[in-house]
Amino acid sequence: MQRTISVLIAAVLILATIGLVMLFSASMVRGDADFHDTGYFIKKQGIWMLLSLIVAISCTRLDMRWLRIAALPTAGICVLLLILVFVPGIGVKTNGSWRWLQLGPLRLQPSEFAKISIILAFAWWISRRRRYMHTFKRGLLPPLVALGLFAMLLIVEPDFGTTVLVGLVTMGLLYIGGARPRHLLGFAGAGVGALAVLLTHNANRMDRFLAFFHPEENAQGAAWQLINGLIAFASGGAHGTGLGNSIQKYHYLPEAHTDFILPIIGEEFGLVATLVVLILFVVIFICGLRIAGRASDDFGRFTALGITLMITLQAMINLAVVTGCVPTKGIALPFISYGGSSLLVSSAMVGLLVNVAHTALDPKVKTRTALFKDRIRTA
Amino acid sequence: MKYKGRTVFSSVVITTVFVGLGVRLAFLHLRPSPEIMARIETARRLEQETRGPRGRILDRNGNMLAVDIAAKHVCADPKFIQQNGDIRAVCDALSSQLSMDRNVIWAMLNQPDRQYVRIQKFMREETIQPLRAMNLKGLVFEDVPIRDYPKGVLGAHVIGYANYEGVGSAGIEQRMNSVMQGVAGLRISQKDGRRREIYGTRTVNIEPQPGADVYLTIDQQIQHFAEKALDNLLAKYHPKAAWAIVQNVRTGEILAMASLPTFNLNRFSTAPAEWMRNRAINYTYEPGSTMKAMVIASALDCGAVRTTDIFDCENGAWFYGGTTLHDSHPYGRLTVADIIKKSSNIGAAKVALQMGNAKVYQSLRAFGFGDSTGLELPGEDAGILWKPDRWSKISITHIAMGHEVLVTSMQMLSAIGAIANDGVRMRPLIIRKVVNSKGETVLSPQPQVLGRPIRPETSKQMRRLMARVTQPGGTGTQAALPGYLVAGKTGTAQKVNLEHGGYYHDKFMASFVGFLPVENPAISIIVVADEPQQGGYYGGTVCAPFFREIADQTVRYLRIPPEGFTTEYVTDIENSGSGEESISD
Repeated sequence: MQRTISVLIAAVLILATIGLVMLFSASMVRGDADFHDTGYFIKKQGIWMLLSLIVAISCTRLDMRWLRIAALPTAGICVLLLILVFVPGIGVKTNGSWRWLQLGPLRLQPSEFAKISIILAFAWWISRRRRYMHTFKRGLLPPLVALGLFAMLLIVEPDFGTTVLVGLVTMGLLYIGGARPRHLLGFAGAGVGALAVLLTHNANRMDRFLAFFHPEENAQGAAWQLINGLIAFASGGAHGTGLGNSIQKYHYLPEAHTDFILPIIGEEFGLVATLVVLILFVVIFICGLRIAGRASDDFGRFTALGITLMITLQAMINLAVVTGCVPTKGIALPFISYGGSSLLVSSAMVGLLVNVAHTALDPKVKTRTALFKDRIRTA
Repeated sequence: MKYKGRTVFSSVVITTVFVGLGVRLAFLHLRPSPEIMARIETARRLEQETRGPRGRILDRNGNMLAVDIAAKHVCADPKFIQQNGDIRAVCDALSSQLSMDRNVIWAMLNQPDRQYVRIQKFMREETIQPLRAMNLKGLVFEDVPIRDYPKGVLGAHVIGYANYEGVGSAGIEQRMNSVMQGVAGLRISQKDGRRREIYGTRTVNIEPQPGADVYLTIDQQIQHFAEKALDNLLAKYHPKAAWAIVQNVRTGEILAMASLPTFNLNRFSTAPAEWMRNRAINYTYEPGSTMKAMVIASALDCGAVRTTDIFDCENGAWFYGGTTLHDSHPYGRLTVADIIKKSSNIGAAKVALQMGNAKVYQSLRAFGFGDSTGLELPGEDAGILWKPDRWSKISITHIAMGHEVLVTSMQMLSAIGAIANDGVRMRPLIIRKVVNSKGETVLSPQPQVLGRPIRPETSKQMRRLMARVTQPGGTGTQAALPGYLVAGKTGTAQKVNLEHGGYYHDKFMASFVGFLPVENPAISIIVVADEPQQGGYYGGTVCAPFFREIADQTVRYLRIPPEGFTTEYVTDIENSGSGEESISD
């Protein structure tokens, strides 16, 4: 188990390092153009990374029992935050979406925090009602209602990518938690239907969706980003053009520092680097599964599972988007893309994963906090 | 156990997807589709044609008439200003320094999504110096060459102008555009997604060659004399337009070519098309009596008449061919010499009839009518001289007095120049030489003989006959210049009424064309006024004084020596005191 933890932490640190280096390379042009400062993004991300490190370490030392108690209130707070996003003055509208909260110098993205809180809430529910999960009313309905509420709030922001991601992760959790596949399929079908309706009602999103099927015809418009991502991979070849030599980051890929950072990695370091990134996420996935399998209680298990699914599915969707396998939607590559909230939440999730692993390591001594308490008690 | 099975199933699904993505990545990296491969090259490739500085235009003595100077586009980054600067301060500074409407600037700067707006184009360095000194953040000054015409209005129609893309669009700027542009350079590099060159990606860089300088035959001093004289003419007689050309008789070089109304070359874009028209070469008109000089010269040359032959001028009205020809002043019998001096229509008509249609047509063609002169300026008109088979019975009498024929002033001056230049018609030259950036003369047009319409002896005769026009009793006395003998011919033609046919009785083309000194002609000058409005309309009244003004200043400037010329023969039969010419109609 100790080895699993080490491998997990190593994989995350390697990803974060690749992320920092590549983010600097990918964001220089944009930073220079928008802020007359090539280091604009990397400086901000550096600060976030320090913050994330502190948060991750803190998360490894939390008492899981407290977390279990706090799961539901946290979800409630998250719902409030997601609503606050729409309040002018606190909420900030950028690029047509209400996604951010401005708190002094900090700009937070509540949908990122929603990701972690929904995992905790679902883990809490499943661990309590595991026996009833195969029933609809007593097991499945309440979490589905909660999911519906979250999904609605995310959709109206709108944050399409996160909605799909959260939907997939929770479905996975419920499936592994014992829900009946036909219940889930029914709900998933309803969700897909709802998404289809929303899709056809938004011209912009519809454009992107259609452009996905005819990228060549929309090269100057909706498929611009996708085509230029593919060009980046192609010009990178096997070994890449070398650090800093990407051409696509020169305004060909507007989101080179966020969602489309993988093509820049591919352009500068080639297939080798993109495969390394992919494999690192698979490593995280395997470690996460191992930790979940050894968890000392169901809450920890489903928390670990949810976190594992959240990180790997997010990476998977991002990869699928940039390689043109699914239509473009805004979703960041964990640990690598620019974005403070995303990094902070991903790190916190890894911290919690390690925390669960610690409890698995010594079921009796559940956490360090508990250990400390036990010591006080014995003393 | 349900948990385990489902976990395994899920992880198999997820792992499979990851493997699929890995394969997809491998294909994208190693076996990209041909379309994508093609795009890598084409989408990024940047081929720029670069231009060196445009050649200058100078007058014959090297005075600059057109030159490239450095200017700036004043640009701004609204996004940057909104984030880092005080938009209000920038706005105030710009509106006061560039004297622009503050609201317009505000609207341009208040676009937080944009990173580039051009506030004002082509600003001169000295204008924006105070603005630069303010050191405002978010303002960018883009270097750009601008064509500057230091003399402004002077020679506007000859020089022409280059548009904002640096392409000559009128005058010499247009005609000599290719040599003044030089050879384009080539730059091959890569461009970014915003279509700007990426620094350090340049693979080919062929430097452009600067354009060549064009020296005109124009002398800015004489040009100034001509323009000044036209200004005076305009002020006194208020014609719709007036123009003048000064030419070197021996070489055909144009020393000045001026046309009013005119415009400032530095503000060509605001000038109406009418102002930009070079009437000296592209306005065709029925010249009137000035044509008699060529008709009589030809008649003398082919021996149809002699200077002393006497024609009956029918006391001002001659019924011929179904219509009546008039002289504005009735004359009885006039010698050929006096027909010119008095400008008798009837006399000229009878001289022409003596020659016959074919001969008249042939000679006028030899003098260059009906064909452009080959001047190196765009837009020269060829005029109209119909072939004799299209003439009516009376056409020859009309042509003799300068009707039923359309000419440009350049043609007229060129023809008169032939009479002055011992019967040799020279091609009018406007370009003296072209000097490339290395200082080598790559082109120097030499005087070119276009034809010999009359013999030298006839030329000598005609010079003396035409000299009498400016002497007492002639129609052009106001062109006489103390110390010199001036040869010339007046012209006053009723304008054709294009709407109702026939001629206007109150709209005239007044002109005076001549040369001096008579014995050894050096310069020829034509002055034309279109519809003088008040104070007179005769060529001798409206144009002759300004011919003299230009001639007076030019001979002194060029130090053309006066000559001791005495009238060799006087063939006045009756010394009619009236110095006014007839109007041909």
